[in-house]
Amino acid sequence: MPTKREGFKAIRFKVHNIAKNSMTKYVLRRLLYLIPIFFGILIIVFVATRMAGDPVKLMTGLNPRITFEARERLTQYYGLDQPLYYQFLKFVWEMLQGNLGNSYAIRGGTAVTTLVGNYAWETFKLQLAALFFSLVIAIPIGILSARKQYSKLDMTVTTTSLVGTCIPIFYMGIVAILIFSYFLGWFPYGAAHSLDPTRYPFGSYLLDELWHMFLPVAALTFAELAPVVLLVRSSMLEVLRQDYILAARASGLSERTVIYKHALRNALIPVVTYVGLYFGGMLAGAPITEKVFNWPGVGRLYVEAISKLDFPVITGITVFVTLMVLVANLITDIAYAYIDPRIRIE
Amino acid sequence: MSNVIRGKRLETLVKRKPAGVSQWSIAWRRFKKNKAALAGLVIVGAIIVIAVFSPIIARYPLNYLASFNEEGRIRMPPSSKYWFGTDYIGRDVFSQLVYGAGNVLYVGFGAAAIAMSLAIAIGIASGYLGGLVDNVLMRITEIFLVIPFLLILLVFLRVAMAIAPSGVGSLTMVTLMIGLFSWASNARIIRGEVLRVKQNEYIEAAIALGASKWRIMFRHVLPNVLHVIIVLTTLQIATAILVEAGVSFLGFGDPNSVTWGQQLQGASEAVKEAWWEGIFPGLFITLLVLGFNLLGNGLRDALDPRLRE
Repeated sequence: MPTKREGFKAIRFKVHNIAKNSMTKYVLRRLLYLIPIFFGILIIVFVATRMAGDPVKLMTGLNPRITFEARERLTQYYGLDQPLYYQFLKFVWEMLQGNLGNSYAIRGGTAVTTLVGNYAWETFKLQLAALFFSLVIAIPIGILSARKQYSKLDMTVTTTSLVGTCIPIFYMGIVAILIFSYFLGWFPYGAAHSLDPTRYPFGSYLLDELWHMFLPVAALTFAELAPVVLLVRSSMLEVLRQDYILAARASGLSERTVIYKHALRNALIPVVTYVGLYFGGMLAGAPITEKVFNWPGVGRLYVEAISKLDFPVITGITVFVTLMVLVANLITDIAYAYIDPRIRIE
Repeated sequence: MSNVIRGKRLETLVKRKPAGVSQWSIAWRRFKKNKAALAGLVIVGAIIVIAVFSPIIARYPLNYLASFNEEGRIRMPPSSKYWFGTDYIGRDVFSQLVYGAGNVLYVGFGAAAIAMSLAIAIGIASGYLGGLVDNVLMRITEIFLVIPFLLILLVFLRVAMAIAPSGVGSLTMVTLMIGLFSWASNARIIRGEVLRVKQNEYIEAAIALGASKWRIMFRHVLPNVLHVIIVLTTLQIATAILVEAGVSFLGFGDPNSVTWGQQLQGASEAVKEAWWEGIFPGLFITLLVLGFNLLGNGLRDALDPRLRE
């Protein structure tokens, strides 16, 4: 019978138990590992922005009435006269307190956290919907294609996917807008909402939102579909060649059970990695998607910030996206270790 | 008569090389059988030919405002005079496409060369030397792997603009930046391959014979990971072309050189009025990227010694 522990002893016991758990240890190790990577990226961006030019000059250069002293004052106000390491440390200190600074260019210095908060949802909305649909469509197609290897269906699927991976997302977007928006007139071209509430379909805000989302999500889904189909197919083929599948079949299990209960779980391991890694790529690719569809997201904000040399916004969005990428990577690692116990033992 | 012929045949038989076939001819034999790979080779070859003979193929001089100067109109639809129509300032889309081919290939090959040189150096050093070198190099690689690639690239292109204003060698700058940020995943793959090659007995033999580390890395390891490097390079060219197109589309490319991405950028302003302006450059980007991807996949199947029967 286990002895009853009380107070501090109980807590110590719990902590000890958590640390002993290999999964927790694994997660903690991964977490510690991400910190230097995060700061590495932060330093790169921070130094690069400061090399890109002088925002004060860009802002005031065309205005002849602004005096040299006023420019100096502005530079001082933004703290750009300080040495680089001091600016960086100040930035890190404020970041740890949840403050990413204020924008130079947008509406009298809106806080970057507010800006990112406002725009991030629009970006996520597109990317997550596209990710969801691409997985839901791609996995069954990939499985089917692998089961009927070298059939006509398989050939069609692989060829289409291969071509699909080569079409740039902005080209696909332009073609989609051209066909469905201009020629057929089914969907609006760009923007996330109708400006005029009377134009809402059936007067519903939600329907309007979905109506605007359709084209970008469809284009993104198709773009993400192709690589996932190829990946699921090749990984399924690999798994189906294994001995344990042969054993499962030999023991008289139905094809359905063999595929969905035995093969699929292992075949999806590379897909998990893919999704985790490419989630970051998707977010980083947001500027392009959002330019094509004139979408009010983080990507468009970022491009505008670069052209205006709006340092806090540039750094802030990079911090945000990097954090998202790292968290996605961490979740991938955990999911990976959860699916495949061999990973944890290193 | 027949004796002479037979004699000749005997002679040629004697003169022939030993029966062994080189690795490359085996690979080529396998490559030839792969229709998709040959299609890739044809596409890439055709676009290289277009790039080389662009002054002959193009129908108007570079950046010549054809329809504006001759007819006083811009954005004219495709016709026998302007095969792919004209763009927002009246340039012939077809001619600009032809002139752009060279620039697109320049970025593709250039960026891939830079990225692969870095990847090879880091991959081989990290994989073969191991220990501290491996640890440090792999941590750096990890930073570059999770970096939000496009975001950082845009900042650096802005820096490049600030450093080299008025476009002197700006396309080279774009190439350099793309190359500098896309080596990481390749380095990791090459490292993995080096780790595999390192296990072989001939490496042990070379060490036993007293070969230096440099000699082993370049004479023994490098040739044995070459097949991976060739495939990765081909695929990297495709990626670099896509990235350049994307960056130009966002307006961060070189404003003074014509590229297909840049043509698309001009077109995206008026998709409705002039569909031809964007459709054709986009089609060519897709085609070229597809060509390199098919080529890369074909090379992978042809060169991989493990797939050999």
